[in-house]
Amino acid sequence: MRRTLRDNGIGLVFGGLFLLMLVGQAFSGQAQYNDQQLASGGEPVSIGQYVTSSSFAVDVVENWQSEYLQFFLYIFLTVWLVQRGSPESKDIEKVGTETDEEQKVGEHAREDSPAWARYQDWRGALFSRSLGIVMGTIFVLSWLAQSVAGWAAYNSEQLGDREDPITWLAYLGGADFWNRTLQNWQSEMLAVGSMAVLGIYLRQRGSPESKPVGSAHADTGESG
Amino acid sequence: MRAIRTCMVGAAIAMLAGCAAAERPDVERVATEFSTGDPTVRCALLAPAALAALEREGPCAATVGTAVPSAGEVLQTAVWGDEAQVRLSGDTLFLTRTSAGWKVVAAGCTPNGDLPYECRVEGP
Repeated sequence: MRRTLRDNGIGLVFGGLFLLMLVGQAFSGQAQYNDQQLASGGEPVSIGQYVTSSSFAVDVVENWQSEYLQFFLYIFLTVWLVQRGSPESKDIEKVGTETDEEQKVGEHAREDSPAWARYQDWRGALFSRSLGIVMGTIFVLSWLAQSVAGWAAYNSEQLGDREDPITWLAYLGGADFWNRTLQNWQSEMLAVGSMAVLGIYLRQRGSPESKPVGSAHADTGESG
Repeated sequence: MRAIRTCMVGAAIAMLAGCAAAERPDVERVATEFSTGDPTVRCALLAPAALAALEREGPCAATVGTAVPSAGEVLQTAVWGDEAQVRLSGDTLFLTRTSAGWKVVAAGCTPNGDLPYECRVEGP
């Protein structure tokens, strides 16, 4: 049991923190929503009503989509882009999809390689891109969910402000959708870019996201 | 995986449409009762904030008839979350869902370009 917990520490701790913070967001969001309700002469809502509202849904998924976009872009772009000296980058000379030998696919697959790494057909091609495809798919679907939930929340606000509701396509071209989207995207790009560059010069002993403390600033693709 | 997630998004859109459709009869019933009812009925269907705003001009039953025109059939209804808009022949109403059911928050409303509707009766 203890060993299982230790071997799965990252997934379990971040999964637990995710749930705790989602609950915290639900209660703080409900408090803010009810403040606005009272200010506009409306009635407060229960936590159950709030977590099933479009207002809560859009606040949740607008953050999800940007996180998955960040990882999707990072996974795909770092095949081709490198950063000299960064632990987030692979070696400069390894730009591209690399050789089958380096990737341990096809005839170079090892005994313990995943089964589809041995295939040179569609299965190999799909498995070779599966991480990016899944992250990209989750991004697209959560962005779509943001557009639908945001549209519903926006139209509810429009009616509360004595204005006409708008169509989904009009919402997609509007300021609310793009403000929600871009305010999340810009922070993700900043975080990824600064992580890649700061890792050249700074260290965190023992972290796989950092180079070993004694590594030269010019060393690329090391972690420890 | 992709099919499952596509279904989930589709279900979310269907749920939105379903929720709105489920509320539509109640919203239209309240709007019709308000627009055709006597002053006592109309005052009972006003949301507290709208009622308070109207009663600043005098007792509701005495003022609601002159403040808000009687209207006819429902032409178009939009329901989003706890808010709704009903266009009638002769008036546009805005309603909100309260613990006592749907109530009218604004009545006697006319479009005002890109600005909010101008309403003869409304709360804050």
